[in-house]
Amino acid sequence: MIQLYHVHKRYPNGCDALTDVTLRVREGEFVFLTGPSGAGKSTLLRLLLVMERATDGQILIGGRNIHVLRDASVPYLRRNIGVVFQDFRLIPRRTVFDNVAIALEIMGLKRKEIERRVGQLLEGLRLIHRAGAYPGDLSGGEQQRVAIARALVNEPAILLADEPTGNLDPDLGHDIMNLLLDVNRRGTTVVVATHDHTLIERYGLRTLVLSRGALTEDRPRTGRALLNHNERAAPGNTAPTLGNPLAASLAPAVAPARTPDEEAPDPSPAPSATEPAEAP
Amino acid sequence: MKRGPRIGYVMRQSLQLVRSSPWLTAVSALTIALALTLVGLFAMVLFNASRLLHDLGQSLTLSVYVQEATPADQLANLERQVRAREGVKAVRTLTREQDRTRNRALLDKDLLEGLDEAALPGQPVLEVEIDADLASRGDVDELVAWTKTLRSVQAVEDVEFGAEKLRLVFAVVEIARTIGVVLSVVLLASAMFFVFSTIRLGVFSRRDEIEILSLVGATPGFVRLPFLVEGALQGLCGALVAMALLGLLHLELRGLVRDVHLLNVSWSLVPPGMLAWLLLGGPSVGLVASAMSVGRYLKV
Repeated sequence: MIQLYHVHKRYPNGCDALTDVTLRVREGEFVFLTGPSGAGKSTLLRLLLVMERATDGQILIGGRNIHVLRDASVPYLRRNIGVVFQDFRLIPRRTVFDNVAIALEIMGLKRKEIERRVGQLLEGLRLIHRAGAYPGDLSGGEQQRVAIARALVNEPAILLADEPTGNLDPDLGHDIMNLLLDVNRRGTTVVVATHDHTLIERYGLRTLVLSRGALTEDRPRTGRALLNHNERAAPGNTAPTLGNPLAASLAPAVAPARTPDEEAPDPSPAPSATEPAEAP
Repeated sequence: MKRGPRIGYVMRQSLQLVRSSPWLTAVSALTIALALTLVGLFAMVLFNASRLLHDLGQSLTLSVYVQEATPADQLANLERQVRAREGVKAVRTLTREQDRTRNRALLDKDLLEGLDEAALPGQPVLEVEIDADLASRGDVDELVAWTKTLRSVQAVEDVEFGAEKLRLVFAVVEIARTIGVVLSVVLLASAMFFVFSTIRLGVFSRRDEIEILSLVGATPGFVRLPFLVEGALQGLCGALVAMALLGLLHLELRGLVRDVHLLNVSWSLVPPGMLAWLLLGGPSVGLVASAMSVGRYLKV
């Protein structure tokens, strides 16, 4: 799904943000991207979003070489990549509904179709009662859920999250992680950039470590993710997930069906509503 | 499939842009209104001046005074020569007596009492009616050149033609036209500058929003369209205000013309198509100014 070959990014001031980075993220995988501040996590995400171009090397997304992508084609690539930021990046003068709907407005969908899809997604994220509210009226957790809704509403194949829990307290951060894992369970490839080691250890998912722009480590999944995630899904946990009955109706819309190829997750045991998907 | 944004969405966003800076929008729209009103006013003045001059050209009279001793065949020759010129509607030849009679009719009866008839001026004359299409000072100059040619004819003593007055009228119209064009350009440029600035401020205040739109996959056109429509809306508002002002002015002027009976104006004082031009021109001015602003400041 995402392939980087010897990617190098040098800024005009001579600073090397990324040096010879080669990596591969398979379709349906959940990957943490970590490293200290300035390690190049955000730069890597910016390259994937074509907010910047690599100085050298090749980047393939869904088999498409974005190094040679024309500027005019960039918006269409971005529609396949949902993005979530630490500071939510919601439009303050637009309601929750309009903030989510914008991702469909840009595609020129009819109003009725937009209302249907946004309504269903907000329902699934338990935000429907806040549809008419403005971002400033929401809690941090709610704002991040709105941002995730916006990132998911046009059913992207990839979800990039840059420090999505950075501005939230641990409990809310955990809720957001559950949501991202849920999204991933439905087939979306998720890349989360974070420098929060407790988060990474807690979930034990594949982790790519960047240091001074270089990829220094590629830690495989430890298997703890399932345990931790199921803990959160225990009775009493009220965190919104896409696993509720309303969101389940969205499943085909939110995620494309997986093909049973080598990149598909292990089919056994049967995935629960909160189980993360992962490549072997 | 590539689809453009819905009209409803674009209009809603544009109106939100207008609402977020109502005063600036009002100033921009009023500047456009002022510029268009003045452009319309100049258009009206020039249009009506041209119509008056055109009407004047249709009823021009030239008097060719011929020497008394001119033989009849030579006079007939001269008359033929005059008739041959393009635009000459009619030529009436007056004998010395007929001219004297005409002159007598022009004078008061009191003045004529005790006056020797022989003292009254009288001379053979060709009264020439011309239907000239006077569109510029050049057309008058052409007529003047022709009168000079007539003067050079041996039998002709003098040619009477109020050319200098006509040239003056044309000179005034031409100056008014130049001032009108210069002022219109300056005013339209100022109006465009106001729209340009308003849009620029809108773009600056929405930088975050523009970045977000771009990140979720909006095309540059999608991001820019509401700003362009905002500019066009400002222009449309300006055009409507200008039309209202010019409409009021037109009613006032018509009343004035009718009341003073100064001119027998049978046509509409408003140039044909002017309202359509205003309606088209206002939004165009706004659109061009916003396109310049968006092109310069909105980088997607």
